[in-house]
Amino acid sequence: MKKVLIIAACLAWGAAGRVMAQETFPRNGVYDERSGLVALTNATIHPDYKTTINNGTLLIRNGKVEAVGTNVKVPAGAVVVDAKGKHIYPGLVDMYSNYGMPEVKPARINYGSPPQAESKKQGAYSWNQAIRPETNAAELFKVDAKQAEELRKLGFGAVLSVHQDGIARGTAALVTLADKRENEVVVLDKAAGALSFDRGSSTQDYPNSLMGAVALLRQTYLDAQWNTMNPGREQNISLKAFADANKYPQIFEVDNKLNVLRADKVGDEFKKQYIIKGAGDEYQMIKEVKATNAPLILTLNFPDAYNVEDTYDARRVPLEALKHWEMAPANAGMLQKAGVTFAFTAADLKDKKDFLPNLRKAVQYGLPEEEALKALTATPAKLLNADKVIGSLDKGKLANFIITSGNLFADNNIILENWIQGNQYKITEVPADYRGVYTLKIAQQPDRKLQITGTPDKPELKVIGQDTVTGKISFNGNMVTLSFNKDKKSNEAIRLSGWYADKNLMGDGQLPDATPVKWSATFSEAMTQQAKKDAAKEAKAPEFGNMVYPFRAFGQAELPKQETVLIKNATVWTNEKEGKLENTDVLLKNGKIAKIGKNLSESGARVIDGTGKHVTPGIIDEHSHIALDDVNEGTQAVTSEVRMKDVVNHEDINIYRQLAGGVTTSQLLHGSANPIGGQSAIIKLRWGKSPEELLIENADEFIKFALGENVKHSNRSNLHSVRFPQTRMGVEQVYVDAFQRAKEYEQAWKSYNKLSKKKKAAVGEPRRDLELEALVEILNDKRFITCHSYVQSEINMMMKVADQMGFKVNTFTHILEGYKVADKMREHGAGGSTFADWWAYKMEVKDAIPQNAGLMNKMGVVTAINSDDAEMARRLNQEAAKSVKYAGMSEEEALKMVTLNPAKLLHLDNRMGSIKTGKDADVVLWNNHPLSIYARAEKTFVDGIAYYDLERDTQMREQLEKERVRLIQKMLNAKSSGAKTQAPVTRKASVLHCEDVEHNEEEGYLAY
Amino acid sequence: MKIHKRYISAFVALMLSVPVFAQVPAPAPKQSKPVLLTGATLHVGNGTVVENAAVAFDNGKITYAGPKSGANTNGYEVVDVTGQHIYPGLIQPNAQLGLNEIESVRATLDMREVGQMNPNVRSVIAYNTDSDIIPTIRANGVLMSQVTPVGGTISGSSSVVQLDAWNWEDAVVKADEGIHLNWPAMLIQTGSTPDPRLANFKQQREQALTDLAQLFRDASVYKAAKNDKENLKLSSMAGLFDGSKKLYIHANYGKEIIESVNFVKQFGVKDIVIVGGGDAVAVIDFLKANNLPVIYSGVHALPSRAEEDVDMPYKTPFLLQKAGVPFALDYDLSIHGIRNLPFIAGTAVAHGLDKEQALAAITLNTAKILGIDKEVGSVEVGKNATLVVSSGDLLDMRTNNVTHAFIQGRKIDLNNKHRYLYQKFDNKYNAETKPAEAKPATKAMTN
Repeated sequence: MKKVLIIAACLAWGAAGRVMAQETFPRNGVYDERSGLVALTNATIHPDYKTTINNGTLLIRNGKVEAVGTNVKVPAGAVVVDAKGKHIYPGLVDMYSNYGMPEVKPARINYGSPPQAESKKQGAYSWNQAIRPETNAAELFKVDAKQAEELRKLGFGAVLSVHQDGIARGTAALVTLADKRENEVVVLDKAAGALSFDRGSSTQDYPNSLMGAVALLRQTYLDAQWNTMNPGREQNISLKAFADANKYPQIFEVDNKLNVLRADKVGDEFKKQYIIKGAGDEYQMIKEVKATNAPLILTLNFPDAYNVEDTYDARRVPLEALKHWEMAPANAGMLQKAGVTFAFTAADLKDKKDFLPNLRKAVQYGLPEEEALKALTATPAKLLNADKVIGSLDKGKLANFIITSGNLFADNNIILENWIQGNQYKITEVPADYRGVYTLKIAQQPDRKLQITGTPDKPELKVIGQDTVTGKISFNGNMVTLSFNKDKKSNEAIRLSGWYADKNLMGDGQLPDATPVKWSATFSEAMTQQAKKDAAKEAKAPEFGNMVYPFRAFGQAELPKQETVLIKNATVWTNEKEGKLENTDVLLKNGKIAKIGKNLSESGARVIDGTGKHVTPGIIDEHSHIALDDVNEGTQAVTSEVRMKDVVNHEDINIYRQLAGGVTTSQLLHGSANPIGGQSAIIKLRWGKSPEELLIENADEFIKFALGENVKHSNRSNLHSVRFPQTRMGVEQVYVDAFQRAKEYEQAWKSYNKLSKKKKAAVGEPRRDLELEALVEILNDKRFITCHSYVQSEINMMMKVADQMGFKVNTFTHILEGYKVADKMREHGAGGSTFADWWAYKMEVKDAIPQNAGLMNKMGVVTAINSDDAEMARRLNQEAAKSVKYAGMSEEEALKMVTLNPAKLLHLDNRMGSIKTGKDADVVLWNNHPLSIYARAEKTFVDGIAYYDLERDTQMREQLEKERVRLIQKMLNAKSSGAKTQAPVTRKASVLHCEDVEHNEEEGYLAY
Repeated sequence: MKIHKRYISAFVALMLSVPVFAQVPAPAPKQSKPVLLTGATLHVGNGTVVENAAVAFDNGKITYAGPKSGANTNGYEVVDVTGQHIYPGLIQPNAQLGLNEIESVRATLDMREVGQMNPNVRSVIAYNTDSDIIPTIRANGVLMSQVTPVGGTISGSSSVVQLDAWNWEDAVVKADEGIHLNWPAMLIQTGSTPDPRLANFKQQREQALTDLAQLFRDASVYKAAKNDKENLKLSSMAGLFDGSKKLYIHANYGKEIIESVNFVKQFGVKDIVIVGGGDAVAVIDFLKANNLPVIYSGVHALPSRAEEDVDMPYKTPFLLQKAGVPFALDYDLSIHGIRNLPFIAGTAVAHGLDKEQALAAITLNTAKILGIDKEVGSVEVGKNATLVVSSGDLLDMRTNNVTHAFIQGRKIDLNNKHRYLYQKFDNKYNAETKPAEAKPATKAMTN
């Protein structure tokens, strides 16, 4: 009690006078600067995350640390604060805050919004509203007393204020949470540069996709470099600021683990190691996250349990959400064990009060206390190059520290005070601890036992007499009031009031029959023993389910392995001159097709009886939008700078579903919203592997073009009759113009590269343009076109433009009127990748016929059947069969349309598409004729690995259900023990098509 | 067989010699003489298969269906279809065929009326018998369709039509047989951040349910009251309460199915059909206990959740069959895709259903659910001669090859825009190319 009073006594001067000077400011009145010389003595001091000083003294002066240790001499004139029994820690640092920043209102732009091609920001700034590096948080920063107090209560002394708006966000400021003028609390005005993939408040069209954001950032780096080298060419405040912001540590905010990897990749391209502010799911891809070498800023926002009592609704909660609820608190611990450097932030917490409980939870889930403290002190200080100022209590650093009742990480610990720049902020009064066991005497009644438990600030009462009853107890200062029922059956209360004196309680009371009584409760034993037991109970290490890859349904703890497989006695569709071979064996070894023949044997091989079954090459889908986080950068007419490889999502369940339909390879295309779309990604369906590992090694590069109604915005509202082109006439001109510019660009570089060093320096480098570079690649046969197309006029036009500009159209995709110009396509050398029988869904497909593939194929056009649809892709073999039905195509030719022919169109036919020795072991085992509706894939091999296996699938279903039941049970238990819950959330399976733009906005809500 | 071959050559000759003809063929004239199909495998539609069968029909009605040996050939035009298969004409329920010609062209759309409560709206009068799409659908064996309006909470009433008619009056098989209720969806938050629109949606839903309750309450007593002025909405719903009209409830989520059925039952709605039923398996006991028929829309669909079995939509028909829930299948992915109706039945077979059960799910079951099974749905004596002959298994695209189709005994023209365009360009290429390089595509022309 005494100690409390001592600390409270010196409270007053914190608010009055000034510890630091504002030298340039005149005073209204007399000057009132004070030295702020304070000695905190007898404390357990943690001057940094790894050191503990028992019975130490912390001496501060003028808002800075003067000395710390056991042998610190307290100078005369120092205010001495006895902190006996208390702990002192360095003030915590949150390096990702919006403290004191103006509110950011994200622009809500959706499919129906009118287009806005140009920036609405006036002045000599970037062409794009999302590029706002001219923002300096220090200029926007305003001390906010309410926010500051909230953060101080959590133990923070300094935060990095980031204006969280846009892709290039300018510089962030390191500020303290002192309640002072901005001039005093801004510690470092430019402590970091800030970036993200989120366009924030920008109302401009571009970028409306994730890959567009990535591309814009890339181009901005190049433009800033160019602008620095050629300052006279264009006055651009944003580019100058971008180059300037680049000098500081770069903090990149992302919203999921995949974006951690994507951000890091961009950083690597421009030799920047970002510090990445993540979303708390990094443990799900720990290997890849670790490999980035990026320091992380980890959220302490852990999801609430879901309300899973309703069995119908419970089914809607995805497995990954259930598992993440269980594992999120272990994120930090797992990353620490993996050797990842990280800091913590309270930024994402909906309820800031969850900060310390969640931090302690992270500790309980495996993060050493020392590391937890490091992540809130030394690490952020170091990452911000501010470790001379904050992060520990060494001489000369800011006097930012907290005084706590005990170990910061103990559940019952309380932050008592938070000192910032030598200013004291009182957080909590130490509640007196009256807990213990007392002997209660009421008048002449027999003795009762009084147990006061709970926490010091919320004591609980149990009275043990003849019966044990619970009661109510409250303290106000050293006054006490308690009441409890006479016995178990009674609802008549005995009410006692009194005071605390010398460990005992006593006073007056009243019995239910109104008799006044005297009472006393004599202290007999403290509760520490019991309290320790309770603490021990909670410290029990949490148990988790398996980590699975990918982190969702049908992910596996252990991925299937490559094996030597001998399929015996099957019907083998070779797609080679041998044709269809009956009673034939196929050996898969080292990921390749090793042998085809009769009566093969191989020691150590797993033998699969193929009797009555069929073996075909894996199905190749030339036109797919699965496994992507975004599809359309549907803004500008030419977006060749965007790359689908930037947005591959390996967790799309449709990968697994399509394996079950025999698909092994997919070309992931940009959408069809613009004449020149984005660059493709070609993947193998290696379910469980990371996005990088899905990409096919050394595959040729492709790009999506599109013609017709989508690029003309024909089927959109009148608001969209603005963008050029609005007609097929305009579409042609977009191409002619784009390729003309590309040629001139190439020529400009060629000319420049020929110059002498001196002349180069004199004229300056041409500006690098990623959009045109992709087109130059096309002109040089280094990138190939897949062109979305429908009607004959535009198909013809595209080939003529290609002839004029000197390139080839590799593939026309959709190409529903290909049958009308099949002769011209053959002449040009273009392939056709089409739908089996779609038509009539829009004007430009009114002449589409199901014999299209048959006619093109007959005319010698390399013809494929594609899906453009995650469901249909599971039945591409049957779609191919429709050409047998409608156009009389042979069955072998039909099968080639979904295997060998798409392989040819993707330039991968030397590695896949047929059953041939030496080709990749991408093979499907069917239970029936592969063109029949009755056929099901029993096993789908990619690189000789059975990524899909019907038998294993059955087991996985059972395991999945068991895991769900376990987690649901755990959630129900958590709820009944008082955990917060949230309503079940459905993650809508994102099924993307060519025409999807801004799908994310549209799928906020759905029924069922 | 001789007759058959002659048919083919005559037809092909006609096609090659007449370069231009109507893309929508003229409807076939009334059956003028008795016809006997012999030698085929007969799939009755009720589960029965008769090998080496014969089917006879006269004046549009089936007069014999059974073993070839029992058939009377006297006076019949005999068509030898030995080795082929005879099926009942397939029926597509819940479709906008004839109401939706080109989805992106507003002027061609007639399936969605404005407003929330339109029980009085009748779809059949907008049914366009001259749609380019219809002949392409028939060519795969689909001979009837339920013309169904969409949109709003109550979209209107549907009618069943046959797909070979001069006008909608000709086409009607059963007019205004049911009213379609789109159950207001239970809204679920899917994003992690609360959407400001959610509260609005919830309010709208409550309003819709209140309006529905009032409408059903008022409609249920409308007939009994003496009304000075007719209320078209209420009078159009009268049949729901005496069982003369069906109520088709379009609902997918399990809880919506339960909620909607219990809701309408309290007003005395007699004859309820669930349409959609995406989540039917989750409430299979409820469906069974209430003897609710389901028109299941989702065979060629993705599972609605990642956690669901990969093949859940494919095997749902099998699971419904196993549980004893009466069901039919509809193809709801697109209008033009209705020609794939037999193949969704085929997919159900690949995932557990028996072939004849799958056939019933697109013929007799559908007829029963739509209340037209006395006239159509199976190849049985007394029913309309609405049937299909295919040279191979109709449910598999690999073998589906319709050689003859009859509607009410009328032999319909299986030509369509696609075959015409195909021929047009095949002829062009054949004329320009040496015969060795390209051969005429005759296989698909076998009718």
